[in-house]
Amino acid sequence: MEKETKQILLKINDLAVQYTSGDSVVSAVNGVSFELEKGETLGLVGETGAGKTTIAKTILRILPDPPAKIRSGQVIYNGTDLLEMSEKEVRKIRGKKISMIFQDPMTALNPMFPVGKQITEAIKIHEPLTTAQAKERAVQMLELVGIPGERYGEYPHQFSGGMKQRVVIALAIACNPELLIADEPTTALDVTIQAQVLEMMTQLKEKLSTSMILITHDLGIVAEMCDRVAIIYAGEIVEMGNREHIFDEPVHPYTKGLFEALPSVNMKAKRLKPIEGLTPDPANLPKGCKFHPRCPYATPQCADRIPELKEITKGHWTRCSASRKEGV
Amino acid sequence: MIMDTIIEVKGLKKYFKTPSGICHAVDGVDLSIERGKTVGIVGESGCGKSTLGRTMIHLTESTEGSIVFNGEDITRVGKAKLKELREKMQIIFQDPFSSLNPRMTAYETIEEPLRISKRFGKKEIAERTVALMRLVGIDKRIENSYPHELDGGRRQRIVIARALALKPELVICDEPVSALDVSIQAQILNLLQDLQENMKLTYVFITHDMSVVRYLSQYICVMYLGQVVEHCPTERLFENPLHPYTKALLSAIPVPDIHMPRKRVVLKGEVTSPINPKPGCRFFARCPHAAEACRRNQGLVEAEKDHFVMCSRLKEIG
Repeated sequence: MEKETKQILLKINDLAVQYTSGDSVVSAVNGVSFELEKGETLGLVGETGAGKTTIAKTILRILPDPPAKIRSGQVIYNGTDLLEMSEKEVRKIRGKKISMIFQDPMTALNPMFPVGKQITEAIKIHEPLTTAQAKERAVQMLELVGIPGERYGEYPHQFSGGMKQRVVIALAIACNPELLIADEPTTALDVTIQAQVLEMMTQLKEKLSTSMILITHDLGIVAEMCDRVAIIYAGEIVEMGNREHIFDEPVHPYTKGLFEALPSVNMKAKRLKPIEGLTPDPANLPKGCKFHPRCPYATPQCADRIPELKEITKGHWTRCSASRKEGV
Repeated sequence: MIMDTIIEVKGLKKYFKTPSGICHAVDGVDLSIERGKTVGIVGESGCGKSTLGRTMIHLTESTEGSIVFNGEDITRVGKAKLKELREKMQIIFQDPFSSLNPRMTAYETIEEPLRISKRFGKKEIAERTVALMRLVGIDKRIENSYPHELDGGRRQRIVIARALALKPELVICDEPVSALDVSIQAQILNLLQDLQENMKLTYVFITHDMSVVRYLSQYICVMYLGQVVEHCPTERLFENPLHPYTKALLSAIPVPDIHMPRKRVVLKGEVTSPINPKPGCRFFARCPHAAEACRRNQGLVEAEKDHFVMCSRLKEIG
């Protein structure tokens, strides 16, 4: 028997979130469950509208309600359900224990205040420090992400995109969070700058032993950063496993399709194999398996029944009736 | 062998006046493109690749240099002639959300250039519009849809159909798939490839995505701060990149393969400003091999056959 030493930091159970506007109901997240161990980096991968950001916002309790409504589910963090907490209690956790790096550094910072002051403010809210001590810590944070402390008093517009994203990261880690949610942290950056930021994030993670949920659409970044991966399609996890499972033995047709649709930088492909069709309209999701209209392996029964997420080998889960047979 | 050149650009410069000085967006680019081929222009944001694309077809006026398209210098021709030549040069922009008129349906958008050209009768316009929609794979059901009702992939198909309406010879594709999801991106790339074969199109493909250019183009120019720092046939660039910037750029791409050994060159610092650039190599401040010699202005040198590099320290770097 394998020794159970893993410590679960976050456990999400059967989360469902809908957005309502007028008469239409958009099912953004449909029964998502996953666990995150301490110190682990989990990648949430999916295309636009798959529900990745909605999951992140639910964990932080920053979903705008209305239009968003949590229909079911639990977000168990260190044994307590975040969704049951009062706003006052959540505030002690948000920004302190769990913090988030947003995609666009241009909008995540307040243009009216010097960057250092924004970090100091975040520290003062959560830590019993004097202003001078908080300021000292803010300077340390800036230096940790590679920004000279002298730039404390500068405003966001005086920084380039890559530097701004570093400030956002400094802000997110200022209170030593246990869990960092990074939502497309490098999508707005150039590749050479992205390489710098990713390297810095890896180092910080090791230094501070933070757990991380990394939201991205880029499988290259996942290969570089993540221990485990969940592939999300139309608000459902369609495949989940460790990096070897996903990169070496993907089983879900959508995961396979994603890999085949990517042009490679290492090889010249004759022709790409796109996934046919379009991502489904979340206001009008197909019945049965949500991928079946685009799936090359679909059978008539795929349109009737929603396949369950099943474990095919230890730690490797997939939501597909075809691959379930393979697994037996 | 005689090369059938569709467009040749010589010493092209585009400077913008800004409050803080002169921005050298494109600073002396020479480029010659063979008919029916795809040339990829790669580089990071702010390197001048989009300005180069626009200036090449005279959408923005050049500051200096000549642009010879089908034997005619388009920087010197009159307005009427330019209008005629414009039909042969089209551009596809990155964001199909802002390049389409929100008040025009798919059908109207594609039909408009045919109407404006005044060359076709009503019936022919209708026939051609329907044919164009079929060509780019737009379902007849959505011909009366407005852009906001459509997803990014379909919108980009409309943009492509409109660009192809008057049978252009040269199409500038400015990041045409960057705003699209992976699964849709592959559909549009395949479409562009098919259209090129069927219509004998020449593409200038502007992108920051190296894997996309590798897939589509036969020739690549790498730009850094307004200059082409390396150009050669596509495969050669990937097999044997020579310029230190190209090397860093290629090594920085995250590869979706967990078994790839990676030797990453992480660059220090950030792209320097294109406003009033210092003389000498533009990459000086970030280059791991920078030396005194790099403070002099650099020129493109043919390092091996058909492989040009702007770096005076190639031998030392090895």
